[in-house]
Amino acid sequence: MTADMPIYDTRPWLPAYGNAIARELPPPRYRNLAELAARACERFANKKAFTAVVPNGMNGTLTYRQVGELSDAFAGYLREVCKLQAGDRVAVQLPNSLTYPVVALGVFKAGCVLVNTNPLYTASEMVHQFNDSGAKVLVIVDMFADKLAEVIPKTGIQRVVLSGVSEMFPAIPNAIVRGVQKVWSKVLPPIPQLSIPVERIKAALASGKAHQSKAAGYWTDLPSSAVAALQYTGGTTGVSKGAMLTHANLMSNVDMVLAMGKSHHGSDECVLTALPLYHIFAFTANLLTFLELGGHNILIPSPRPVQNLQRAIENYPITWITGVNTLFNGLMNEEWFTAFPPKHLKAAIAGGTALHHAVAERWQKITGTRIAEGFGLTECSPVVTFNTLVGDVRTDSIGVPVPGTEVRLVNDDGVPVPHGEAGELIVRGPQVMQGYWNRPEETASILKDGWLFTGDVAVMDADGYFKIVDRKKDLVLVSGFNVYPNEIEDALAKMDAVLEAAVVGVPDANSGESVRAYVVKNPEFVSELTKDMVVAHCKSLLTDYKIPKSVIFRNELPKSPIGKILRKDLKAEVKAEFNKK
Amino acid sequence: MLSEAETKLLGIMMMVIMLGMGASLTFRDFLIAFKKPKGVLVGLLCQYGIMPFLGYLLAVSLGLSPALAVGIILIACMPGGTTSNIFTYFSKGALALSIMMTSVSTLVAVAAVPSLIAFYTKSAGVSGEFAIPAANVAQVLVVLLVPTVIGMILRKTNPNIGATIELIGSLLGVCVILFLIGSWVPRNYQLLLSTPWPVFFAAIGLGLFGMLLGYWLAQLLKQDNNRSRTISLETGIQNGPLAVLIVTLTFKDETQQQVLLIPVLYSLFIVLTSSVITLWYRRNATQEALARDSAKVGRAVSA
Repeated sequence: MTADMPIYDTRPWLPAYGNAIARELPPPRYRNLAELAARACERFANKKAFTAVVPNGMNGTLTYRQVGELSDAFAGYLREVCKLQAGDRVAVQLPNSLTYPVVALGVFKAGCVLVNTNPLYTASEMVHQFNDSGAKVLVIVDMFADKLAEVIPKTGIQRVVLSGVSEMFPAIPNAIVRGVQKVWSKVLPPIPQLSIPVERIKAALASGKAHQSKAAGYWTDLPSSAVAALQYTGGTTGVSKGAMLTHANLMSNVDMVLAMGKSHHGSDECVLTALPLYHIFAFTANLLTFLELGGHNILIPSPRPVQNLQRAIENYPITWITGVNTLFNGLMNEEWFTAFPPKHLKAAIAGGTALHHAVAERWQKITGTRIAEGFGLTECSPVVTFNTLVGDVRTDSIGVPVPGTEVRLVNDDGVPVPHGEAGELIVRGPQVMQGYWNRPEETASILKDGWLFTGDVAVMDADGYFKIVDRKKDLVLVSGFNVYPNEIEDALAKMDAVLEAAVVGVPDANSGESVRAYVVKNPEFVSELTKDMVVAHCKSLLTDYKIPKSVIFRNELPKSPIGKILRKDLKAEVKAEFNKK
Repeated sequence: MLSEAETKLLGIMMMVIMLGMGASLTFRDFLIAFKKPKGVLVGLLCQYGIMPFLGYLLAVSLGLSPALAVGIILIACMPGGTTSNIFTYFSKGALALSIMMTSVSTLVAVAAVPSLIAFYTKSAGVSGEFAIPAANVAQVLVVLLVPTVIGMILRKTNPNIGATIELIGSLLGVCVILFLIGSWVPRNYQLLLSTPWPVFFAAIGLGLFGMLLGYWLAQLLKQDNNRSRTISLETGIQNGPLAVLIVTLTFKDETQQQVLLIPVLYSLFIVLTSSVITLWYRRNATQEALARDSAKVGRAVSA
């Protein structure tokens, strides 16, 4: 090692790979994701690929062969019926259901670009995303079709395809689920009259079936450098922008995830997909990775309340679970889960937000398996670091960089910080996005010389394990001292009376900024919880300037679709509050 | 009275209802209930402690004739009805507890119900032609356990069929009551008009007092409000169709008609009374939730 070479570039984490993890990524095996999908559907033709399970246990299944044929038909529909060209954007706004993989893989096979869209978006969020991406075709779940009347006239969408949650279920369960949705829960709105063609997915697939055989022709010459998906992310700056992820980006991330889990992969994996596939975490870690592995994906359309997962966990031999802290915590609060944890489980993967120490420990105790926590972001397809499944358990760590990935910690000038100091985590590797769609300025501010600046502050220990200290933008500056909200939140979470907490900075006349805690009381806890109790607790664990100056009790905290607490929403509230004053 | 064909139809419907109840259960549910038995034990105490005694008390204090006394004691000794699960759902109660109470009380019924009926009918001074042979009751219950177990197996082996049957079973629970109203009431119109008020009082009171006492006992045994409300509904709502089936299999002609009066009246009125109670419980549950919220807001203001 030369004197001017930053320690990070020597990859001090390699010993942690042991014999289980390959140090380098294998060379690319496929030209693009369409080929990855087509090969998987040939290799595993007769295996079950996807099973969607609704809360009462009703379900539908597609085999790999069916997924291959149906996605070929959807590709044919996009190119021949909708007359799309390679590179055209297709917005997909679906909960986890059998339609999702058919449509997503169909988009790849057509050489088009997938625009994953949250089904719970409001009309104005939909308009922004469809216009920003320039989507021409929209595939949307029929439960939210009522928004179309307002959205479609304001966008360039030329064609709408509708799908139900129980689409492709056997006839009777499908009729019952739809009947219950329509009559009982009244969640099926009438389809508004639109000036553009609207059809159901069955009709779209039927009209595409005639062109099914042309599908291979659409993707044979599609380079891996082509954009596969525009994955929208708000970041902390507010306006939602599309991260351009290429086929190569996503395929390399699949290989990274595979490398980290290889020691635990058998020939019949079954993964519980409770996180939404429109989110990059489940999209890569569940859909693409287990497609390549020939695994069986158990899709849960609506994982909340967590009781909705009961029949899926009882009826299928789940070997992997991907989730976020709130999901694992929720499962362990269910009696049916703790009494009979899935007995085939090999490991669980956590991401999205920090995994609490207590949750990880309890999980290990209850299930006898590990939760490997990882770190990633939309802009990196998403996985950057991961805890290994072999060797020591390191809680509170996001693990080591995945193979083929360079990571550094840098100061505000972009210069690597000495070993042991906190710095912004930056990433370079084949999974890093090409930039934000049509936003050169924002791209330039986050992507420099191939390095992606994550905005997360981390430290690295002697073995090359990283630990996130906080978001750079969430730092609270109290009288010149840096306060990391995570540290205060961890301290608050140690109170039995506290269910969840979030910490933000508020303007303060004396100290510039002061710490404010938003606290959700634990309903299990009977006695009163007061501000004084919270402050006294913090004083026992933290130095003076870190103690929350104000404590606000809330019934719930704002959360993202996957359950990540959104500090930015709380900060926006604070901003509005102090602007008034 | 019910014709031969109607009795058979009722029997088949009961089979399907029990098939549906089985499909709502797993073997694991029972194991969990045995691990943490308190809620279910309190429920069983209400089901087989309070209700049969209440039936006996009403029969004796109102001076009901032997045929009517058998009717009310029989319905009072029945296990929980599957419709209680639907009412619990609407009242925002503890659904898992309700389902467990229904199924455990149905299982226990095979042993408990024949002896409870024998004990209380004897205590009420009923004998001879109006006595229900314990073997009859046990036989019906055992026969009904078969579809329950088949339902449980179906849910495990084919969740689509299991869930479909579960749904059909719970819908049929309502249909059976409609069927009883449709087939019994028009033919016994005169009888209803000439029925004295104590009979109505007994048929309606059994359910109402059962819910009230169930709630109190649950509170006394330190169940929280939500579980108490669930236990209350579960206690008051009996398996009416099962009682009707046992009567039609045991008695014939005129006797059958007399014995049947209270179980049928009970089944008709319990739908109304438990609907009202459910609305009330639902309001309480909502208010408690709101009270918890405003308590927090109060603290937030002071903070």
